[in-house]
Amino acid sequence: AARAVIGRCQARRRRGRCVLGWRVAAAITWSVLLLPICTAAFIILSGLDPFHPVRWISNSFNDLYTSYVIFCIFLMSMVIIIISIFNIEFYAVVPSIPCSRLALIGKIIHPQQVIHSFVHAIMGMLVTWCATVMTKGRFQFLAVSCTPSEGLEDAVPQMCLNEYHLFFLLSGAFLGYSYSLFYLINNMNYLPFPIIQQYKYLRFRRSLPLLIKHSCVESLHFVRNFCVTYYFFGYIPKVWICTTMDLHTDGKLHPLDTLSGLLDLSLFYHTWLSGVFLLMTWYIAWLLFKIYATESHHFPIQPTFAQETDQCLPKILNSNPPLLIKFLALQDLMLLSQYSPVRRQEVFSLSQPGGHPHNWTAISRECLSLLSDLTQRLIAQQEAAAAANGRAKPPVGESSPINMSFQSQRSNIVLRASMSPLVKPSLMPVKTSPGSDVGSPFSSPALNYKMGVVDIKSPWHGPVQSPHVMRRGPKLWTSVSDQQMNGSHHESFPVLSAARTGTEAVQPRFIYTWLQNKQEQIKTFLSKRALIMYFFSKHPEASIQAVFSDAQMHIWALEGLSHLVAASFTEDQFGVVQTTLPAILNTLLTLQEVVDRHFKLPHVSSKPPRISGSLVDTSYKTLRFALRASLKTALYRITTVFGEHLNAVQVSTEHKKRLQQFLEYKE
Amino acid sequence: QLSVLLSLQLTSEDMIAAFSQAVDWAGCTVRAFAWHPHTNKFAVALLDDSIRVYNSNSATVPSLKHRLQRNVAAMAWKPLCASILAVACQSCVLVWHLDPTSLSTRPSSGCAQVLSCPGHSPVTSLAWAPSGERLLSASPVDTAMLVWDVSTETCVQLQWFGGGGVTYLAWSPDGSKVLAATPSAVFRVWEAQMWTCERWPTIRGRCQTGCWSPDGSRLLFTVLGESVIYSLSFSEYRGEMQGQVGGSKTASIVADLSETTFETLYGEERIGGEVHSMVWDPTGERLAVIIRGESPNSQPAVAVFRTRNSPVFELLPCGFVRGERGARPQLISFHPCFPQGALLTVCWSSGKISHIPFFFVGALEPHASPRRSPVPVLGSVREQPLFSEL
Repeated sequence: AARAVIGRCQARRRRGRCVLGWRVAAAITWSVLLLPICTAAFIILSGLDPFHPVRWISNSFNDLYTSYVIFCIFLMSMVIIIISIFNIEFYAVVPSIPCSRLALIGKIIHPQQVIHSFVHAIMGMLVTWCATVMTKGRFQFLAVSCTPSEGLEDAVPQMCLNEYHLFFLLSGAFLGYSYSLFYLINNMNYLPFPIIQQYKYLRFRRSLPLLIKHSCVESLHFVRNFCVTYYFFGYIPKVWICTTMDLHTDGKLHPLDTLSGLLDLSLFYHTWLSGVFLLMTWYIAWLLFKIYATESHHFPIQPTFAQETDQCLPKILNSNPPLLIKFLALQDLMLLSQYSPVRRQEVFSLSQPGGHPHNWTAISRECLSLLSDLTQRLIAQQEAAAAANGRAKPPVGESSPINMSFQSQRSNIVLRASMSPLVKPSLMPVKTSPGSDVGSPFSSPALNYKMGVVDIKSPWHGPVQSPHVMRRGPKLWTSVSDQQMNGSHHESFPVLSAARTGTEAVQPRFIYTWLQNKQEQIKTFLSKRALIMYFFSKHPEASIQAVFSDAQMHIWALEGLSHLVAASFTEDQFGVVQTTLPAILNTLLTLQEVVDRHFKLPHVSSKPPRISGSLVDTSYKTLRFALRASLKTALYRITTVFGEHLNAVQVSTEHKKRLQQFLEYKE
Repeated sequence: QLSVLLSLQLTSEDMIAAFSQAVDWAGCTVRAFAWHPHTNKFAVALLDDSIRVYNSNSATVPSLKHRLQRNVAAMAWKPLCASILAVACQSCVLVWHLDPTSLSTRPSSGCAQVLSCPGHSPVTSLAWAPSGERLLSASPVDTAMLVWDVSTETCVQLQWFGGGGVTYLAWSPDGSKVLAATPSAVFRVWEAQMWTCERWPTIRGRCQTGCWSPDGSRLLFTVLGESVIYSLSFSEYRGEMQGQVGGSKTASIVADLSETTFETLYGEERIGGEVHSMVWDPTGERLAVIIRGESPNSQPAVAVFRTRNSPVFELLPCGFVRGERGARPQLISFHPCFPQGALLTVCWSSGKISHIPFFFVGALEPHASPRRSPVPVLGSVREQPLFSEL
């Protein structure tokens, strides 16, 4: 059985790769095809000679066909391919948000990131080497022949170090490293999905001016930083190269690690230009990958052939595909529910022999479980926030009334859901949170957090356990230590459930609690030291962002579900949607309450921060606002279409009141 | 392209006055009007840059004021929402989040979101997607129109070269298409899924106004300098034809509104001329237009037509709506969910707002929405000059 599971996993992974494979190939091809254009632009600009325009243009065009330019293009194509491979290996649809400075440092020195930076530095060096070759002139060779500075007539020509060339190569390495660092810090591996659908060419054209501007400005900053670095530390590589390669320094040339040496306008211009060239080619590869990867994909609802069953939307939603595939599936669900009556009809259809609404059941179940997952996570986070707010820790075995009400509500949902014949009892399975390989640097603490949220019906979730949720609240440790904590939690689960069933398990539980207390004490002790506090203190905004980092999925689930329900009013011939309507309304209304409560927490701003229109996408920072808005719209969409008929739907009195508010447009 | 250059030289106030749907934007007390799409609530923008929100269920009339709320050209309520109002101002788009249960008469300016984008001012037109998720804004000086995700304040620029900025936007009620008029003799119809567009050159002047049939299959529009109504039909939207607008080859003239003499109770009157603004009621049965007089002594008038969209398009004259003596119509709008037929709201130059009900039973089968279920009251359309006031 285990082998079968593994086999299926591999098949799934392959399918994910398959959808992605073509997109990646196309993206790489286009970025390689665009390379000669960038190169031509670079050659023309590097030979800039405003006083002799005709000669400048003709020279540049002659240079384009030379063999070394073609070789350089070939070499840089290799670089682009390697950069693209890194883009593909590092992409994430759920951004990882470091919640404290220590977590950020941890991310920077993580082996994966170190390899990323190292390779990018090498690639940067290669690109600038190509740039020097194409620029020609005094930058071209590392070793040049020179006469010794003594100026004797009979002195034999020696090989001297061309410091300009060295400067260029080092600047390339610096730029590559800076690119990699900013890639990490700005979460550029995050794939944001566009707010409207557009053709790829139009999206690319729209981003191109931004890309050029961004590359120019960024290159300016990087070169400035590099000049400062070279001024202080430039002598180290210079001396090292000279000794290893047995080169001399040319006394006639100014050394570059002095102020006067660095104030060379032509040098600065060429460094900047090659920086722009490097960043542009890399950003184009990155942008194209982003555009291709987030393009909507059309999943069939019903298989036309038996072997295609695995590719169907309901199947993919319910399995555990690579996260990107799941995102694409949900996006497709949103699009079909909104725009395609024919495909909606397929969703509402019954299976041919048997007459079961398998498609609708699978889709609605997955959407609902996603949403109730989020509800759980938010409740946990609110409890944590309440604990962190300095409220006295309730003694073990009790829970705050708010907690109780939540739990009763939750069990309500589960009860109702499990009673419904259409929804399997496993409505809320524990899902390892999307994309959280615990070991990877891209799993954020918040997502790991999610792993602590277990099935409601498991004994762990009784009121007895809620203090654990509380205790995890004031988390000081991040990333690395979080993982350890989670690990320990995982180990504790069986112990805890045993504690319920047998009294002999009380002992380990006690030890565990004691350990927890100790850990807590150490943390409080450490947190009082200012310096440590600086590194450990969690940025409240970042932790909130982390909680909502995968909210895009929930937004699509909400939109897809609400559009389908609204359309079912006229299009659902067999009434398959009606049976799940109570569960849907319950889930949405509960989530609405929890989200409302979330925005009332301290530290939570009710307005999104201003986003400047830059190339670097920071849309993950505002996902929670989008979620709040689309949740409300989703509820209104259902209530507007169904109107008074909703009074016939069985929901709890509290929810009935809430629904009435929606019906009267008073929410 | 001359008109484009001219429009760039105008001051922004002149520009708003030229492109606004209000007949006399600069001089009239009422500058913009918007019905809430689901409830009996409307917002009125006044000459002093304040906005008042009237609600049939409550006596409080909130008055909205904001530092940036100047020269309001248009307003739009967010569909599928209780109380979010987008306001097109001189320098930005303001989105007011009003609490529907609040009794306060002066909501603080903290309730307003400011959506601004460099180069995108003055904003003269707004349109919400009927699904309530996106907001479009347009400015006559910006060649791009912006698609906003209001909740996150992010925008996407939709650019198409040529034709200058965008002066007027109309989103079709089924959400599939958007009309975007430009200051030059060209207008575009965008398809709202993949955001591609079809370009429509007109013969005489720029497209002044336009409105969509309820199913989004027909667009009626008028052109500056011509006193006719054009109709443009689109193939029915099914969602499979991604990225196609599907417009027919040419637009046809469906009504000629050139000046004619009418016998009225008040004597002989000459009515006719260019159409300034045009609205179609949500059931697709009544069309109201503001006709600007051609000769100096003729008055602007509101004409109402009876329309039918299927199986064939029909447009029959129905009557004129007259205000108090000397009052000229400024703005017209249909109530989005009047259950017994159609409710036309006219804002007059005197500052009065009147609601004129049309009672009828829809020719089509009752709509899916329970809010539009027909009421068994057989009303007759009153063809006499109507006069009713709020």
